[in-house]
Amino acid sequence: MKRRSFLRNGALASLSLPFVQNGLSMQAVAKKLFEVPKSAEDKVLVLIRMNGGNDGLNMVFPRDQYAEMLVQRANILVPETEILPLTLEVGLHPKMTGMQTLFNEGKLSVIQNVGYPEPNRSHFRSMDIWTTGALDINQTSGWLGRYFDSAYPNFPDDYPNVDYPDPFAISMGSEVSTTCQGLMGNFSHAVSDPFNSSNLLLTSVANDGTYYGGQIEYISTLINQTNEYGQQISSAASAGNSLSNLYDPQNPLAVQLKYVAQMISGGLQTKVYILNVNGFDTHDAQVDQNDFKEGVHANLLKRISDAVRAFQHDLQLLGLEQRVAGLTFSEFGRQIASNGSLGTDHGDAAPVLLFGACVSSGIVGANPQIPNQINNQAGLPMAIDFRDIYASILKDWFEVDQQVIQGLFEQNITYYDMLQGCTNGSSESAATQLHKPLVFPNPSLGQHQLKFTSINEFVEIYLIDQSGKILQKSFEGQLNAGQQLLTFEIQFLQTGLYHYLLKSASRQELVSFQKL
Amino acid sequence: MTPYSGPWTAAQAAHLLRRCTFGATYNDIQIAVQAGMSVTISNLLLANSTDEPLAYDPAEQIVAQGQTWVSAVYPQDVTANQQTEGARMKSLGAWIAKNLNQESLSLTEKMLFFWQNHFGVTTSGDARAMYHYLHLLRQNALGNVKQLVKDVSIDPCMLLFLNGSTNTVFSPNENYARELLELFTVGKGAQLAAGDYSTFTEQDVAAGAKIFTGYIVQGVRSSTQNQVTSQFMAPLHDNSSKVLSYHFNNQVVNAAGATEYANYIDIVFNQPDTATYICRKLYRYFVNCDITAWVEQHIITDMAQTFVANNFEITPVLVELFSSAHFYDISVRGAIIRSPLETLCAMLNTSSTTANFDLQTTYQIYLSMYGLADQMGQGYAAPPSVAGWTPYYQAPAFYRLWINSTYIKKRFDVANVLTSNSFNVNGNIFKIQVLNLLNGLSQPASAPQVIEDLCLVLFPKDIPASDKLAIKAILTGGLPDFEWTLQYNEYLADPSNPTFYTPVELRMQAVLNVMFKMPQFHVC
Repeated sequence: MKRRSFLRNGALASLSLPFVQNGLSMQAVAKKLFEVPKSAEDKVLVLIRMNGGNDGLNMVFPRDQYAEMLVQRANILVPETEILPLTLEVGLHPKMTGMQTLFNEGKLSVIQNVGYPEPNRSHFRSMDIWTTGALDINQTSGWLGRYFDSAYPNFPDDYPNVDYPDPFAISMGSEVSTTCQGLMGNFSHAVSDPFNSSNLLLTSVANDGTYYGGQIEYISTLINQTNEYGQQISSAASAGNSLSNLYDPQNPLAVQLKYVAQMISGGLQTKVYILNVNGFDTHDAQVDQNDFKEGVHANLLKRISDAVRAFQHDLQLLGLEQRVAGLTFSEFGRQIASNGSLGTDHGDAAPVLLFGACVSSGIVGANPQIPNQINNQAGLPMAIDFRDIYASILKDWFEVDQQVIQGLFEQNITYYDMLQGCTNGSSESAATQLHKPLVFPNPSLGQHQLKFTSINEFVEIYLIDQSGKILQKSFEGQLNAGQQLLTFEIQFLQTGLYHYLLKSASRQELVSFQKL
Repeated sequence: MTPYSGPWTAAQAAHLLRRCTFGATYNDIQIAVQAGMSVTISNLLLANSTDEPLAYDPAEQIVAQGQTWVSAVYPQDVTANQQTEGARMKSLGAWIAKNLNQESLSLTEKMLFFWQNHFGVTTSGDARAMYHYLHLLRQNALGNVKQLVKDVSIDPCMLLFLNGSTNTVFSPNENYARELLELFTVGKGAQLAAGDYSTFTEQDVAAGAKIFTGYIVQGVRSSTQNQVTSQFMAPLHDNSSKVLSYHFNNQVVNAAGATEYANYIDIVFNQPDTATYICRKLYRYFVNCDITAWVEQHIITDMAQTFVANNFEITPVLVELFSSAHFYDISVRGAIIRSPLETLCAMLNTSSTTANFDLQTTYQIYLSMYGLADQMGQGYAAPPSVAGWTPYYQAPAFYRLWINSTYIKKRFDVANVLTSNSFNVNGNIFKIQVLNLLNGLSQPASAPQVIEDLCLVLFPKDIPASDKLAIKAILTGGLPDFEWTLQYNEYLADPSNPTFYTPVELRMQAVLNVMFKMPQFHVC
């Protein structure tokens, strides 16, 4: 008996009713929506989390506003001549020569002023927002977890299997990543060393000869044996290659990215790798007081820049460049003005870096505006919603159907050209707006919301099953013109594909969703 | 037995509570430290009170929802009768899990399960009979064992389970008579000769069968009788004199009708093997599976002596054991692998997490709890055999039989479900109340102290400092400790605001998820 259905029924196994599903039509409709295209199956996304709140203004410099920057953060500002130019207006921190090289090769995209409305300056809350990809406090699944749920239903019960023997995502370290939290399980697998197949344990306690030690050893052995992905990962890592000599073994991120290159080249089918760099919470001593281009933050940026450059170099030598793209992110940027302790405090928007041979363009978005006079504690306002970046990556990289993507996010998505550098002229115009009704979350479990715009008219909404049978009238009533948000309970539905039919004098529209 | 006279700190108090309950909170441990060892042991002897199981499932066709069914008739119609039994068994399963989850700090539930394992009774086809049987065990869980064995011998559930109800002078059935000796009292020793098991022989089995003849069971799923009852039918009883084997000094049990079996059980309890056998089982349940020669000589012998000296009252034996130097010896700390129910309850009870929803939802959740433990190898009302669960007796692996590659995965599945928001019943999310847990610790705002306290509550022994740092990094999300302090204090200032409590809750969920998957959590 599967845990999923057991929990849902809440009944003794023998007492639950068998569930018969109309397999054929379900598959036919679901295929169109949720199937992962062949060309997207071997795409890999690398996420690098800059943990602690990255000071974006000390990473990407608005060169045209150096004078204003000097007013706001004279005690930490890198000398103007040291800044590495990318364009006339935009420059990088002097330690990021690797990133500059990638930019010049067309393999780096700088996305400016990324954030979200009504910023929250708590590390914890804001990181949750970035990893869930949602502002809704009740959303606990990750943005990638929701995508995986839609593409690979019945996780974790039916996985691994012959078609999908490898973990969908790997989180380097001892913690799985919230970005991959699905409804019933986390799609990421924590790996600290891919060459060691027994890597499920946080630690291994040596058997000290006591009864306790014996039991711990016994349980540890079993836990490691049941690590169903361990063998897959270690054999891929062993079969894999790494050809670049640029990795610095003293740089932990470089070591981990080298592992990632080895796992990818060894044939692991993992789609997402998540890496973490701590230490960006630079309230004090962010820079060296004697040399502002040196210091804690400079070292962190150098570490990321060097490691990504080595990784990209490796991928090029391995012939894997067109399969891999990466994104850096942090829970927030820091305030425009520096503080008195050679540091910066929690702020709002910040740039993110997108890297890979397939990036669409160099600089996305205009420079932030640094005023001469600022309000106390001001951060940078957001110009680009990070959730739109996620959505655009899903569309460009994993080729997810736009209707499905819209179901994964709460905002009306604005798409940007992100990773179309390797495709031939299929680029769509930026900022494609969707005005179709949408169900969120989709796939859904207990309840969900239907979002749509209406004119002032009488609207009826019917719930329809896959055979076209009307199950119920979910709503009827006179609506005002504007955005509508209706909450529906769907606990009672069996697993499968359903539709809402919106019917009014002005329109008749169908929107589909999957009940898990 | 040498009494314990060492220091009484949180380590000893936590050890006592881990072994005697299904899960104690940080606060419980602190109270036990304050109260001292003997007061804590006395408190553990206070009974855990429970209500009766309630009808909640729509298939129940006699009793209204929210009413107890334990003394209600069944429908006459066959289908309706079966459906009602299904509903009542679900209610009973849920109620069992609820009692474990909502226990007071008492030995009752732990001892109740000891007896459920000891007699190995599987449900008899009438939920009322099973309820009343469990009630009998509960009433006597900390009482007189000789009386308990007498009562169990003629309990309808046992009569149905081991064929006592069809054991008559015309066709004797040896099933109960055999298990009484082999599993419930003197235990089976080495085979000395054909049919001679050191402690009893086939002659005693045959004699016992005759002694127990005459009891029948009435009212199973009856539409007129509101109880299942056992009744002595004199014409069915064997009135011959029964001669026991040389192990019992060839004693004769004379015909004595309805009370003859009680005379026989008195004889069985006079055998020194009975006290020794039961005390060994207690030792394996509460201390360690390895009964060395030293343990046999210094612990088991003393326990048995106390047991006999107190006319088979169990409480003095337990008090002596829990007050002994051996019980607190570091060599037995963490020696036991937690059973599935102990594992599940340790996840919930250490944070006082209970299901408090409407009747139907609450019972459905507890039924799921029951089912999850069942999937991990411990279905409370259905032991794998009359000998109980193998981890309590099967040498040499013992407790290790609780864990294999399937069961460890189930344990991790359960950890995942309870530390997330995915356990959804009727739109209600059941999950560990991590904020409750956190707020009950000594210094919730201090990340290192939070980890320190959680280790005390969840693990039997201290773990390496490097492990604590790794767990702490999960709590702080890799940030400096002060950021956790700030976040916690923000939450404390506005505790009902989801913007502040949700991040704290998510970090705690991640911490527990990792700790529940550490091997140290699975031993106690």
